Amino acid sequence: MIRIEKLISRRGAFCLGPIDLDFRGSSYLTILGPSGSGKTLFLETCMGLIAPESGRVWLDGKDVTDIVPEQRHISYLPQDLTLFPHLSVRDNILFGARRRQLQKALVESRLANLLDLLEMHHIIDRTDVATLSGGEKQRVAMARALLPEPRLLFLDEPFSALDATIKRQLQVKLREINQQLGVTILHVTHDQEEAFLLGEQLAVMINGQIRQVGPRDDIYYRPATLEVARFLRNQNIFDLTIREILPDGSLRLENDICLVAPGHAGATPGEQLATGIRSEEVVVIRPNKPIGPELQENLFHATIVDILIFGGTQTLCVRLNDSGMTVNAELPNCAMRDLGYAIGDALQVCLRKRSLWTIPLDAGAVTRKTHDD
Amino acid sequence: MQRDSVFKITMLMPLFILAGYFLLLVGSQSAFFNFSVFMEQLSRANVLSAIALSLVAATCSSAIAIGIAIPSAYALARFNFPGKRLVDTFIDLPMVLTPIALGTLILMAWNTAFGQFLANFGLTLPFTLAGVILAQFTVVVAISVRMLKATFEQVNPRQEQVARLLGCTAFSSFIHVTLPLARRGILAAIILTWARAIGEFGATVMVAGTAKGQTATLPSSIYLAMSMADLPQAVTLVVILIVISLIVLFGVRMALERKR
Repeated sequence: MIRIEKLISRRGAFCLGPIDLDFRGSSYLTILGPSGSGKTLFLETCMGLIAPESGRVWLDGKDVTDIVPEQRHISYLPQDLTLFPHLSVRDNILFGARRRQLQKALVESRLANLLDLLEMHHIIDRTDVATLSGGEKQRVAMARALLPEPRLLFLDEPFSALDATIKRQLQVKLREINQQLGVTILHVTHDQEEAFLLGEQLAVMINGQIRQVGPRDDIYYRPATLEVARFLRNQNIFDLTIREILPDGSLRLENDICLVAPGHAGATPGEQLATGIRSEEVVVIRPNKPIGPELQENLFHATIVDILIFGGTQTLCVRLNDSGMTVNAELPNCAMRDLGYAIGDALQVCLRKRSLWTIPLDAGAVTRKTHDD
Repeated sequence: MQRDSVFKITMLMPLFILAGYFLLLVGSQSAFFNFSVFMEQLSRANVLSAIALSLVAATCSSAIAIGIAIPSAYALARFNFPGKRLVDTFIDLPMVLTPIALGTLILMAWNTAFGQFLANFGLTLPFTLAGVILAQFTVVVAISVRMLKATFEQVNPRQEQVARLLGCTAFSSFIHVTLPLARRGILAAIILTWARAIGEFGATVMVAGTAKGQTATLPSSIYLAMSMADLPQAVTLVVILIVISLIVLFGVRMALERKR
């Protein structure tokens, strides 16, 4: 559906690319990256608003690199929505249909469907778009983008200015739109929760480069580079060396701590790796609780050194007794209430083999220091 | 609260002093103003001609200036091209030159082969309406470009991009989105350009002269009356100029308010 080949684009001193991407067979694609990573420039180049320095853009199997924006059949929802302030709500929504000279009856029927879908009957007759709330503006901009029935809908951080409640409502609505209207969506965002909630396929963009592409679980649990791992808030990262390749292909890793991690092709003893585990994958066990065989591996005695309380979760910062390294474990509030942990309490933590990821350590790559010294 | 009052007074005081000063300028004419003379002046052919010429020339010159300034200002606001800074600076030239010098420049330019070429098509400047319009246009066009450039810079380019993706060509996006969004700035530019054009004197006198009934506009008629020490006529013409200007400016402003 969307194919990008060796795309390079520039804005001032910032260079995007070269980017190669091939999104096929999925209808919701998310590009996730920190602010300033080039996401908007990428969208603008794909939409034809900025001419690429080199490379090609294919949409729906057609090379559109040299086609003007209005003929690419893409609708666009920018971060600031940019409703036309000189037009009423209805005229804003009908703007694209009028420019494309769609049949009146067809437009009226699509408008009725969108008003139902986006639950915006109560605002359609407003004459001044400045009187709309943030969520209402978002719905109007969405209806305006969808009315011409584009092949592709490009979203540039459309929910970034909304409060959490409205944001969640609209994210759910967006999934509905994606499924009901069958429009392919390319959504760029820096919000990881939003990216994983909505994207079937994800690409991680950092410093103008795509660092990893794949299904959401691959990106979440198996980061391809340390940059990606750090950006995705992997808090437990260790520099380790392969000591032994076990008969089942697993790797015995050593440095300040010893771990058994899943093997990968081409692993050789002596090779340096970065190994990590997401904090919510760390298993926390009371000191005297019997432990099943699946948790016997990578099991460490530890002491709680800090407890960080977030909205619905808490992070236990524990120091491993043998190595002095710290590991973060995330637990839901209800579990924390049941366990009743406090700073200074002893416990055991298991870094399950299946939850560990490994990345060959490039020369010069430095992982997060996990020592307390 | 007291500090707020001091701030308010500091800002309002110069405004009231300025308004008072203008009131003094206008009010002091009453000593020389006579209503019967005023009505008698209004029936004179050369005064009526000056009024008509001023209105026609100012409207034509400001319309041409705005017509050229809109695309020029948009280009300066949106596009990057080699020599942009130079062009941008050069456009400002009429704003820093005195109108007399501008008039001289126009006359000298019309004495070149280019001027001769245009003269072959009947486009001569001395003692013609074309000369008055060209002189006024040359003085006011830079003001229009400057004002409109600031206006277009305030229109979010993202609006135009969204319009393009909704099916507009670049031109259609300009017509349906940019111009309506710049409407207030454009109307302000029209008002200021027209007001400056109807009051233009220096360049007009240099280029088109002050032939009564031919190229004598209201400002040049005032100058002629003053040079002949005909104070009642001069004051009458000043009052006519003020009344016409206020009616037009107020009318445009009302139209603008209604559109809002």
